[in-house]
Amino acid sequence: MEAISQDSCGGGDEAPGAEGWPAPEARVHFRVTRFIMEAGVKLGMQSIPIATACAIYHKFFCEINLNAYDPYLVAMSSLYLAGKVEEQHLRTRDIINVSNRYFHPGSEPLELDSRFWVIRDSIVQCELLVLRVLRFQVSFQHPHKYLLHYLISLKNWLNRYSWQRTPISITAWALLRDSYHGGLCLRFRAQHIAVAVLHLALQVYGVEVPAEAEAEKPWWQVFSDDLTKPIIDNIVSDLIQIYTMDTEIP
Amino acid sequence: MDRDLLRQSLNYHGPSLLSLLRSEQQDNPHFRSLLGSAAEPARGPPPQQPAPGRKEKRIDNIEIQKFISKKADLLFALSWKSDVPATSEVNEDNEDPYAVMPPLEQFMEIPSMDRRELFFRDIERGDIVIGRISSIREFGFFMVLICLGSGIMRDISHLEITALCPLRDVPSHSNHGDPLSYYQTGDIIRAGIKDIDRYHEKLAVSLYSSSLPPHLSGIKLGVISSEELPLYYRRSVELNSNSLESYESIMQSSLGFANPGVVEFLLGKLGIDEANPPSLMRGLQSKNFSEDDFASALRKKQSASWALKCVKVGVDYFKVGRHVDAMNEYNKALEIDKQNVEALVARGALYATKGSLNKAIEDFELALENCPTHRNARKYLCQTLVERGGQLEEEEKFLNAESYYKKALDLDETFKDAEDALQKLHKYMQKSLELREKQAEKEEKQKTKKIETSAEKLRKLLKEEKRLKKKRRKSTSSSSSVSSGDESVSSSSSSSSSGHKRHKKHKRNRSESSRSSKRHSAKASSNQIDQDRKDEYFPVPANTSASFLNQRQEVEKLLEKQDRVPYQKKQVKEKDRCPLSSSSLEIPDDFGGRSEDSRDFYNSYKTQAGSSKTEKPYKYERHFSSRRDSSDSFSRNPEDKLKSCGYRKCEKDAEGRKEHYRKWEPGSMRYSTSPAGSDHSSKSVEKHKKCSYSGSRDFSRHEQRCQLSKNHREYEREYNYEEDIKTEVSERDEVNSKEHSESVVKKNLPQNLLNIFNQIAAFEKEKGNKQKN
Repeated sequence: MEAISQDSCGGGDEAPGAEGWPAPEARVHFRVTRFIMEAGVKLGMQSIPIATACAIYHKFFCEINLNAYDPYLVAMSSLYLAGKVEEQHLRTRDIINVSNRYFHPGSEPLELDSRFWVIRDSIVQCELLVLRVLRFQVSFQHPHKYLLHYLISLKNWLNRYSWQRTPISITAWALLRDSYHGGLCLRFRAQHIAVAVLHLALQVYGVEVPAEAEAEKPWWQVFSDDLTKPIIDNIVSDLIQIYTMDTEIP
Repeated sequence: MDRDLLRQSLNYHGPSLLSLLRSEQQDNPHFRSLLGSAAEPARGPPPQQPAPGRKEKRIDNIEIQKFISKKADLLFALSWKSDVPATSEVNEDNEDPYAVMPPLEQFMEIPSMDRRELFFRDIERGDIVIGRISSIREFGFFMVLICLGSGIMRDISHLEITALCPLRDVPSHSNHGDPLSYYQTGDIIRAGIKDIDRYHEKLAVSLYSSSLPPHLSGIKLGVISSEELPLYYRRSVELNSNSLESYESIMQSSLGFANPGVVEFLLGKLGIDEANPPSLMRGLQSKNFSEDDFASALRKKQSASWALKCVKVGVDYFKVGRHVDAMNEYNKALEIDKQNVEALVARGALYATKGSLNKAIEDFELALENCPTHRNARKYLCQTLVERGGQLEEEEKFLNAESYYKKALDLDETFKDAEDALQKLHKYMQKSLELREKQAEKEEKQKTKKIETSAEKLRKLLKEEKRLKKKRRKSTSSSSSVSSGDESVSSSSSSSSSGHKRHKKHKRNRSESSRSSKRHSAKASSNQIDQDRKDEYFPVPANTSASFLNQRQEVEKLLEKQDRVPYQKKQVKEKDRCPLSSSSLEIPDDFGGRSEDSRDFYNSYKTQAGSSKTEKPYKYERHFSSRRDSSDSFSRNPEDKLKSCGYRKCEKDAEGRKEHYRKWEPGSMRYSTSPAGSDHSSKSVEKHKKCSYSGSRDFSRHEQRCQLSKNHREYEREYNYEEDIKTEVSERDEVNSKEHSESVVKKNLPQNLLNIFNQIAAFEKEKGNKQKN
């Protein structure tokens, strides 16, 4: 574990300083989740396993101080564990290869020597640690399934040409995936996140739900009874906050 | 940039977004040109009436506008589109792969007026509608729509929307009468929208599938049952009866929501590509990811280098002479990377040095398949092919050797060794062919001399034979057909050797006829005949030596155990083998060996049987000795035959054949035990039938083999057969015995006797058959 933490956490300059804890910490998490997502795509993972990996990562660092463990190692273990949880099994060798390439772009794949096995062992050990820290509660309700059903419902109510012209579903899906850069998934209900993401997507393209003014119940209320407008606004602003980090961090 | 989309967004957010966009995207050349023109329409239309819902979120709207302006290059990119097909889908998800929900407006409780308006705005020609017939007129029927079958899923059941289906759009179900008579008020009808008058809110529908778009033309229009109504409608009806249910509870209780593949299914339905997941993060644009950074590419690269490492270790072992370790390393390398060319070549080289040339060739060929330009693989393969060709040459498989040389030359035309070897082989083949011809010529001359003397002998023997047969005929009252057959045989056999071919034809016909007659007899032979046979012949063994009796019983016991069951099977097997024997070189050889053996024990039989005093054994002794003579006389025959028939395998060396003879000698003894013979002597009628049947079966097989191989030993046997079928039967049994267990060796002496009994029985049998026929 020592080897990998020295090796991979090269971005020590981004480590939280003495003052201003939250912002730098959020930045580290943003970077590490970015790594999870990029590695997930390169490992051929689907959206839900990637989401689970991010959720595991965020949940772990809700419990544990960032200084205690190397976040990238936790991220690798999260990927490995998420593959198991979501039945899309990954091989540690692939995870190590992709990660190594991520940390050292253009480098040759590691040789399968004792160092490789040390890294592999540390991933497996860290996986056990994560499991214990999370008290083996590693399955999550993700907004993905809800969002897709909402999209289908909305699609039928909207004019089909306006639906076709406007990339609402792809935007909503992208927003949802990107939302895992932060800990939104832990703070809000899955349905609420799904609605908020959909709401933002509609807003972006200026699409109005037909006859919304005349309706007894706004469309977002239909999808989730306990949802209120402020919750949506909160989620949306959090989401936008995440994107501001994207521009701040190169 | 998608101008329309940008305009739509600008119209919604107003001029504040425009100014934000201008400041954020000023570096983007697409936007700079676009925003100039986009500003015009933004200014042009009167400011939108802000909806009451929107007023509240004015504050965060600015945040959203900032977000839009920052991400505008991604959000309004032309590539930022879902690739969902623009066709309307059928709303018949009866299998429920996802949670099919009642229409959204039903939950939103939108007034009917708006719903109706929106329905007429969104309905399209070619959509499928489902409704009930409300009235039937002479010009068509009216139906009230209850739901939609394709395109959009809307709740229209309470909107009282009527549609007319004119008479010309109703297909007639019979040649006579009114097509409308088929329909009744209240029928549920599925129809295609043919015409829409949006202003007057009038619809015309058709029952012809030509009204539907091509991809929906398979859908049956007309009367449907209530079970065929779309799932969304049924759920909507359920919701109407219990309006307290929320969207969420219906969704959660739906089976489709729990479907583990629901995400994948809906992503496909909505046209989102999971292989290239969308993201609005600049660093996560999957199109910027290099293909080399993906796990599969990295793994492949890593495996290749790992395998190569193993090969290197293996080569080091190989150089030191630790061949087993080297092989292990190569195999490990190939386990890691199945297609590793270096490992294949290295392993092939190891195989070649170890002498497993075929395996080496396999490896080299596989390596060349994967990497056709690999120089070493090609070189090694050529060398190995030539070496293997040399091996084959030594094994007398010249044709195979030739093909290997040719293969090597195909790979490398300049490969000198292969060319030399091929030429040498051709020369050698030519020479041996000439040699063979000469030898055959010589032998033919010798043979013609002998044949005349033997013909004399044969004639005598046949006369004797006839006499015996006549005697027997008296006791069993045989038919004339056998005698005539005998006569024809004797006459033909006494003719000169030049009539060989004629013989053969003749014989073939005969064997066929006898076979068929035997088959008949197998079923038809009466007890009477069997009884007779027993009475007449079974005293014979009793008169011979006691030792034989004992042995016979032993044989019987053994055979009863081992051979009775597999007996039938083996016949079939033998039959199957027939086509094989024609191509195989070994079969003719072992026949040769066997006939030598049989002659040996005929001799031994002669000495033994000579001491017995009964008349019949003597007769058989005579018969056998005559047979031996004839076979001797014909032993030269085949070489002649070889030449005349142009036997293709004549390239084979005489030496090689001798080797085969030697090889076969140790096993010769087992031929002498014949299960069929012993079976027969055990007096069982059924077994007897079997035996004769097997004999006849073997005839055909024998015939076939003879024609195909034209072997000299075979030919000798044929000749015997012409003389006497009885002998033939016994010999066939010997052929059978070859297949049988090797444990029953060393019983050849009594076996001779058994064979004789067998012959007698077969002969009797035939006589019986002839009678019947």
